[in-house]
Amino acid sequence: MSPRLATAVAVCMVVGVAAAAHGLEVQITTVRVVDHGHSDAQLDALRPRLRRLVGYRSFQVVREERRQCAWQTAEAFKIPGGRVLHVVPKGMREQAVAMQVKLLDRRRPLVDTDFRLQNRGVLLFAVDRDVRGAQPLIIMLRAEE
Amino acid sequence: MTCADVADLLDRFVDAELPAPMLLAVARHAGGCPACDTAARELTGVRDLVGGTVQDDAERLDLSRVWPAVARAADRTDARRAWVRRMRLAPVWGVGLAAASALFWLRTTPEPVRVAERPPRRNQAVIERIDSASPLELRRERKDGTVLIMVSAPGQP
Repeated sequence: MSPRLATAVAVCMVVGVAAAAHGLEVQITTVRVVDHGHSDAQLDALRPRLRRLVGYRSFQVVREERRQCAWQTAEAFKIPGGRVLHVVPKGMREQAVAMQVKLLDRRRPLVDTDFRLQNRGVLLFAVDRDVRGAQPLIIMLRAEE
Repeated sequence: MTCADVADLLDRFVDAELPAPMLLAVARHAGGCPACDTAARELTGVRDLVGGTVQDDAERLDLSRVWPAVARAADRTDARRAWVRRMRLAPVWGVGLAAASALFWLRTTPEPVRVAERPPRRNQAVIERIDSASPLELRRERKDGTVLIMVSAPGQP
């Protein structure tokens, strides 16, 4: 193998490893929904969509976390109210992010799903009001390669 | 050579069209034969007379209109040749014109009316599998295609 070819292969390998290591940026935003009250300004763009989907009027950010996730590696995001969202980015397919997500309420699974989400798209999980009287929550998952 | 032979050759003798030996033979015969000599002299006189008449006619001929007519005819011939040359290039011109008209037609043909395409929805999500022990509802927002997975918390009445 010529030195130039060897260098090119090495550069490609380094770039590939760096890209793989870069993985996926996942942003989890937990939003409390209420019938009345103010809405957070950072949700202004999403507010009409949220109103159409869940019917509530006001939306307030409770927790926000952004994390760089490696492919095929599970990441746990804490959700207020003792819930956890497990996220496993599986790969990119046709400009969409393939992921597995499990939402646990303490140790009890609420939902376990595989989906493909358009790059930089948002998928919403909503958890209804429970017997403990906790407010309904919306969990916004945003993924960007 | 006899008088009959000379009579046959006399025209060409007078015009000096005979080969040199024949010319000499006719001249020798005419020198010894008064009839053939007379015939030769008469024919020469006629030739000179005709030649002189033709020359007089030629000298009197008015050629002032001839050369302009020749020039006009030459012009017409040149023009005809020019058209012939152009016609030889006709296939090339035809191909060029066809290409130009095709280009013009393609550029000026209005594009087909396109039905407005719906822009891709930003939050399109495809659920490939979903499991839940709790009541579950999937909602999709029409405008952006945002998907909401609504689950009921445990113990909900």
